[in-house]
Parts: sequence; structure tokens; C-alpha cells
Amino acid sequence: MTPLLQAENLTKRFVTRGPLGARAEFTAVDQVSFEVRLGETLAVVGESGSGKSTTARMIAKLMDPTEGSLHFDGEDVTRAKGAALARFRGDVQVVFQDPFSSLNPRHTVERILMAPLVYQGIAPDGSRRAHAKELMERVGLNPDHSLRYPAQFSGGQAQRIGIARALAVNPRLVICDEAVSALDVSVQAQVIELLRRLQRESGFSYVFIAHDLAVVRQIAQRVAVMSKGRIVELGETAQVFGEPRDAYTRTLLAAIPRIDPEWDRRRKERS
Amino acid sequence: MSDLLVVEDLTVTFPTTRGPVEVVKGVSFTVGRDETVGIVGESGSGKSMTSLAIMGLLPKGARTRGSVRLDGTELLGRPERELRRLRGDQLSMIFQDPLSSLNPYYTVGLQIEEMYRAHRDKSRRNARQVAVEALAQVGLPEPERRVDHYPHQFSGGQRQRVMIAMALVCGPKLLIADEPTTALDVTVQAQILRLLADLRRESGTGMVFITHDLAVISSIATRVLVLRRGEQVEYGTAEQVFAEPRHDYTRMLLDSIPRIDDEVSA
Repeated sequence: MTPLLQAENLTKRFVTRGPLGARAEFTAVDQVSFEVRLGETLAVVGESGSGKSTTARMIAKLMDPTEGSLHFDGEDVTRAKGAALARFRGDVQVVFQDPFSSLNPRHTVERILMAPLVYQGIAPDGSRRAHAKELMERVGLNPDHSLRYPAQFSGGQAQRIGIARALAVNPRLVICDEAVSALDVSVQAQVIELLRRLQRESGFSYVFIAHDLAVVRQIAQRVAVMSKGRIVELGETAQVFGEPRDAYTRTLLAAIPRIDPEWDRRRKERS
Repeated sequence: MSDLLVVEDLTVTFPTTRGPVEVVKGVSFTVGRDETVGIVGESGSGKSMTSLAIMGLLPKGARTRGSVRLDGTELLGRPERELRRLRGDQLSMIFQDPLSSLNPYYTVGLQIEEMYRAHRDKSRRNARQVAVEALAQVGLPEPERRVDHYPHQFSGGQRQRVMIAMALVCGPKLLIADEPTTALDVTVQAQILRLLADLRRESGTGMVFITHDLAVISSIATRVLVLRRGEQVEYGTAEQVFAEPRHDYTRMLLDSIPRIDDEVSA
């Protein structure tokens, strides 16, 4: 079966200028290849500077690769422009880390949620208001609040608006770039549950970019571990976490602070 | 021996256009000598306001009630001049973002020296040696060379080491660490946590460690205080709070965090 998205040898080099104006090249992403299968969640994890966010931007076509190719649903979209790019944007949506900076503060929720449809030139089934309310219900927001502004929502609710906006065009792939990183743990757990439910209901795929491996374990079927611009390990979640093959993956896993499992066991026994 | 820090019924109030708002509501805890107490809470819990109140660094307009005693000396209501003499000397603080707490125009050596000369020995020659030793103590390689570098020449983890060196150079009795590893990568976080635990043990400094991360708290604190919307919901030994939480909110928090070692059904 054709994978939904296929990245082959994606490379991104940035040109920098040194102190004396000397040209220097910096390779942020170096020959990265992976595929995203239909309906799966692929996590891309790594520390700062690993290239995970640059990879996310390239597969979302928010940034062109220096080298390599990107196929979506069998079609080469590496240099897609115009109608082909618009079609791609209808299939691939992004949820960003900071909901407030990615939502226009002067627009109502209804207008924010309808913007992707306007861009696509699609008329919603029924009225805009009804469609916006339906989207709000799907992500667990009160549909009566569709004429409110982003500032009137909490951080977790604002992230739900960002998720609803991504769903407005019925995408086939949703790229979550650190989408739950800025949330408090209790809110984070709810948003993760929401993301899982939406996928069960709609069957789209996720690329889940994150630095928090415990969160990734909750949501991904496969994991790609990035370090210094390269994928050092890619495999089933259970394998990568249970029997990591790469030395860097092992270092990363060992560094995660853990609550004493004995304490956890006693707590669960009591409740 | 008496406790190092005694916080009793600490209340912090901010004036707003709709009247005063209490952001810390009657918090009480103690820090023994040679102990790390963790304060944990979500955003808006009042954990940072509690630490700023102890340091006397609350924003203008904030009002405090209750008592904060360091080694028997009351800190609340002290004039700013006296507090300034105590800060850096008797009690120090490190923050989440070391870059914003370091002066970009001075070498890190000068900034550590300044701290030492303000509270201890005024002589310049001695201070430089102290700065080099302080950088060596926090595990920075080549301290003799690095002492002349500027903050931007260090990585995030190294900058936090510089901040720790500066905070500890006068040998304070108490160190307040407010989310010191939150902005760091997980491998760097592990190194900084180990460093803080080692230094604390060697120097016998008491520590208040503030974080939103329960797993981090469990690895470093002997006692834990859980705050929610300014209220103290739980206070006990780490083992007690994690294994036998008494409050529903603590249980909810502990249930919410994903465990890295848990198998998850898809």
C-alpha cells in the first residue's frame, strides 16, 4: 500500500555568516527518510537542535527542503505550487505549540475555524455558524461560545480551538508540533485523550513532534528518534522504548526522571 | 537543631481594580539544614510567588502576611537595604532562564566576582581565583579560560551551571531553585539535577526546589508541598505524598502524568 506521506533524503541547510562575514553552512536536517502510514501516529522525538521542528516544517510545506523529495498520497509535492499546494493544504494541517500566538486575537472562534475553508474556497455543509459549532462540539468546547475571542479561553481550551481549526477541512494528516508541551499536566492528559479520540473517529494520521518521550509513548505507534539532524532510530514504539538499539536513544531514555515505581504501586493499591 | 527556614501562614496579596486578590493563601512549611523541599503545582498555583516572597523579590504593590524566618531571623517586612545584604549571601536563587538573569555585557567571571566582593572579600585578585574555583566546582571544563567568556558563549546547560556557581559562591544557607531545569533538554536536566544534589550534599545548603514536574520533584526532594490556586493541598515526605496522597488533587495530578515505562494499549 502506498504510504500517505513519504519523505526521502530530506535535507535542510542554512547559510550563516561568521564574525568576519565568512560563509558557513549549517545542516539542520541531514538525509532524513521516513513514511507515514494511513491512520497511524508517527512520533518524531529529539532534543533541541535535533532538527525535529525543521523536519516538521518541511513535511508541512512551510519550508522547502534543500535536497530530497516529499510525496503525499503517491504524488510528488516537493515543489508543489498553486493549485497543487492548495490541495496539499487541504489534506495536511498543523497544530502548533502555543495556541495563543497561532490564533488571531481579533477574530472570533467562528471566523478562526472557518478560515481554512475560506482559503480552500469550500462552502461548508449548512451555514458557517452551524459548521463552526459542530467543530467546537467535536473538540469538547461549548458551541455557544463561537462568537468569543481567543483571550476568553484558557490555554487548554485555546489548544482545542487550534485542533478544531485543523479539522475544519477534513485533513488526512495532522502534524502536531509540540502541541501539548505548553499545557499543565492535568490539561495535557485531556488534550492527549482528545487527539486519540479524534483519530479513532476520523481515521487520519498524525505526525507528532515532541521532546517529551512519556507523552509520545501514550500516543504513537512508531517513533523516530532524531539527533543532530539525523534519524538515529526508527521503529515500533514498544521496541524503541523497550529495546532501544541506538546508544543515543538509550541515553535519552535513561535521562528521564521517574517516579519510584514502588510508590506508584502502593498508591494504586490504595485507590 | 532548629529548622533552617520556617514559613508560617504566608499570604501574598495583590491589589487589583476589583480589590485585593490572594495569590498565596496561608502556606506553611519548614526546610531543615541539609534538606531539599519541593514545591509543586500547575500554573497559577502560587509556587513562584511563594519563592519570591521568601527572597523579598515580590513585584511592587504585593502585600505579605505571616512569617518567613531564616535561621531564626524574620525576613518579611525587612527594609530592602537589609534584604539586599542577605540575598546572595545568606540565601540565593536560580531561575528557569539563566540568560535573562546574566548580564550579557560582562564576562561570567566578573559577575561571579562581583557577587563575592559585594558580600565577602573586597580584593580583586582573590575574587578572580574564587570565580575560577566556583566554575570548576559546577563542573565546567577549562574554568581558567571560561571565566573570561560572555554568557552567550555558553550553552543553556552551561549557563545554568554558571548561575549555580554564582548562587553558591558565598556559601548561602539556603538556595531557592525555581524551575531550574524546565528549559533544558532532558539529558542536560539529568546532569543539572545530579550537580545540584551533589553540591547541596557537599555544602550542607538547604534547598527549596520549585517545579511543575512531579517526576523531577520525586527524584530530588525529601519533602514535598503541593500547591493549587495559592492553597496548600498537601505537605509531607516525598514517599508519603507520592505513595499515600491524602488529597484528591494530588491523586489527580499523579494519575495525569504519563509514565515513560508504562506499556500503553493503542
